Amino acid sequence: MKRTLPLILVLICGVLGIIPFLIPHPIVQTTDGFFRDIVLRIIGAFALVLGLGSLLRVHYDKIKRRQNNWEYSWVLIITFIVVSIIGLFGGTQGTGPLPTRIGTFAFDIQSLYLNIEVPLGSTMFALLAFLMASAAYRAFRARSTEASLLLVAAFFVMIGILPLGDRISHQLPSFAQWIMDVPNVAGQRGIQFGVVLGMLTTALKIILGIERSWLGGGE
Amino acid sequence: MNFVDRMLKIDRRIIYLILALVITLPLLFRSPQRIRVMHPVATLFNAVDSISPNKALIVNFEFDPRDLPELEPMGLAILRHAFHKRIKVLVMSLYVQPLGLAQNALTAVINEINTEAKTNVDSLIYGRDYVFLGWQPPPLVPILGMGESIANVYKTDFYGNKTDTLPLMRYIKNYKNVGLLVSLSSSDVPKWWLEFAQNRFGLRVGAGVTSVSASEFYQYLQTGQFSGLMVGMKGAAEYEEMIESNLGIHKRRKASEALPSITYAHLAMIAFIIIGNVGYFIKRRQK
Repeated sequence: MKRTLPLILVLICGVLGIIPFLIPHPIVQTTDGFFRDIVLRIIGAFALVLGLGSLLRVHYDKIKRRQNNWEYSWVLIITFIVVSIIGLFGGTQGTGPLPTRIGTFAFDIQSLYLNIEVPLGSTMFALLAFLMASAAYRAFRARSTEASLLLVAAFFVMIGILPLGDRISHQLPSFAQWIMDVPNVAGQRGIQFGVVLGMLTTALKIILGIERSWLGGGE
Repeated sequence: MNFVDRMLKIDRRIIYLILALVITLPLLFRSPQRIRVMHPVATLFNAVDSISPNKALIVNFEFDPRDLPELEPMGLAILRHAFHKRIKVLVMSLYVQPLGLAQNALTAVINEINTEAKTNVDSLIYGRDYVFLGWQPPPLVPILGMGESIANVYKTDFYGNKTDTLPLMRYIKNYKNVGLLVSLSSSDVPKWWLEFAQNRFGLRVGAGVTSVSASEFYQYLQTGQFSGLMVGMKGAAEYEEMIESNLGIHKRRKASEALPSITYAHLAMIAFIIIGNVGYFIKRRQK
């Protein structure tokens, strides 16, 4: 029963997810609307609680067992609690019952987001440019015909998309665009067909209960 | 270590230093570069431009701070275009992270226009000209639900107002009243709009994506599923060019200002790749 019930639920939900795309009858559409607007949201809310609970548990265990870099888990837990309190009681715009301003210093969710998360996130991603440059220098070698083709295509696209490319030759941006529009699309479409067929097969296997690894190991 | 070995083993700190210089120095001297507009952006511009007066534009902000430099200028340019043409705008996100950025971009453009407005008609008024819907989880709910009723999915807007009481929402009821949705995203989200909202409700979709993810989106432009595509900083700069040259909107062009940095960074990377390859070939010949 422990395994059968989830399998039946997946079969029902999977079929219910497909049918509304094929049958426009009002009964089917209304049922679909109910599942989407009510059931899906409830599941989403549970998933959110489960996700947050799991995150806190993982970091609590890390602190308890003094695992590597356990100190940072404190940062996560404290930040989680502080931001949750500000968000729940201060409101996103600082209009809640909890005061989120001391003089000119505001710490409502939007201020925290714009002044902490935005610079931190941007900084982290900006570092990628340096790593990419270093990696491209070390790894981008014309070792074979395929690698050479890739190198030449990358060269034309990199130059062609810049204003400089247009100054060198008016044909260069058009050629760079052609590389993206034709050879790139041909390759991408081939990959996409493979991916979609794979997804369809996997989805059908899960809906029909052939693929059961998602149930987890053991009985 | 001989010269060829030096070519093959440039210290990474030197690479970092050169890259830091070529990126930061042009940013200190703001000089927006003009750029030729390619067909994906021109198509998107025309799609926004041709939205009929009784229909709205939905701008879907779906990026977080790491993609801000590439995607925010797109959002600003699209919003400026729409408001300049007096197109009604709905702003929304499928995830919570982009909300702060969406609000920031929306507020910036609204303030920009309202400070220049002389009459009530010129001004942009919340609920009459635009609505910030906010977000509703999980993502599939708004994508499919808005096809039937926007007010039913977003019972309250981002600011807590009842959506169905807002004047704009009295006639923007579902996708039938939406001329175009533009999804600005660094992930697969623009494809979701095609898969669910376009396939089922016939919604017209345009997209603005980051350079690294762009290659997988061109196929949908070729099939006509996307009504235009903006790619990376260059795409944003092209849109800025379009609104400036076609509509005479002279505002700060963040993406165009960043183009010199990108130009020099690309040239530096190309130079390093060439140096590495020349060293590699000489070394191979010596063996």
